[in-house]
Amino acid sequence: MKKQKEEEYLSGNLTAMIDVVFQLIIFFVATISMQDQAMNSGIDLARAPNGKAVTVKDKREIMIDVDKSGRISISRTQLSPNVLLSILKKAMAESQGVQVPIIIRGDANARHVGIKAVMDACATAGIYKIKFSALKEKGS
Amino acid sequence: MARKKRRQHLTAGELNLTAMIDVAFQLLSFFIITIHPQDVLTNLDVFRPSQESESVPSPAMPNMIRIMIFSNALTLNENPMTFRNMDAVMTQLASHDTTQTILIMCRAESKHKDLVAVLNMCAKLKLTNLSVISSN
Repeated sequence: MKKQKEEEYLSGNLTAMIDVVFQLIIFFVATISMQDQAMNSGIDLARAPNGKAVTVKDKREIMIDVDKSGRISISRTQLSPNVLLSILKKAMAESQGVQVPIIIRGDANARHVGIKAVMDACATAGIYKIKFSALKEKGS
Repeated sequence: MARKKRRQHLTAGELNLTAMIDVAFQLLSFFIITIHPQDVLTNLDVFRPSQESESVPSPAMPNMIRIMIFSNALTLNENPMTFRNMDAVMTQLASHDTTQTILIMCRAESKHKDLVAVLNMCAKLKLTNLSVISSN
């Protein structure tokens, strides 16, 4: 009788631990960011430790990547400057004249000529307010 | 006489949770090992003058700071500078007026990180009236 009670006591203690373990698993699963995969396009951002950290993301923003070879892409899809221009014009038409936020993620070693192609496409589409994405703090 | 092994007899409705707890701990270990802090990003604002805009800053405007970025050099108002020198001069200029116009002209062969470094310097000094122009 005493032995059975001891066994029951031991098995009862484990219940709370299993609950905590599952809660931790759920926490880690929930905090894994899938957006990292979309953004990890092999671009090594330049450092800008004095910029303001990005806390709120605008859903309308268009992120344009320029790699070190000058190739332009959006969400890993490579685009020519003409296709980029048509996309930006369409975005401006759909926003009914409201400026579409454009963020240029340029590789640190990219030549300005590649960035210029994106900036010129933005200007042609009527977008004059652009932002350059940079690394404020390295995570690891 | 050999002792008989005790077998765990489960009644109907009971589950052996040992394997599940093992899997749960393995999953937890995996996530703890693979999680890493994310990079903190920043967006540096610039204004690109439109060709039709009347407010295109002319390079000849007085009280305008003109920064030219070449492939391997920098100039501030046509004076060759290093980043350190430029930081000191810009700090002095910013102490008088943070609303003055900064015109950043980038050569085609200049590196993007140099432009970002200049923008970072302006962000540090709270200089917000920035324009970026590309030059050949």
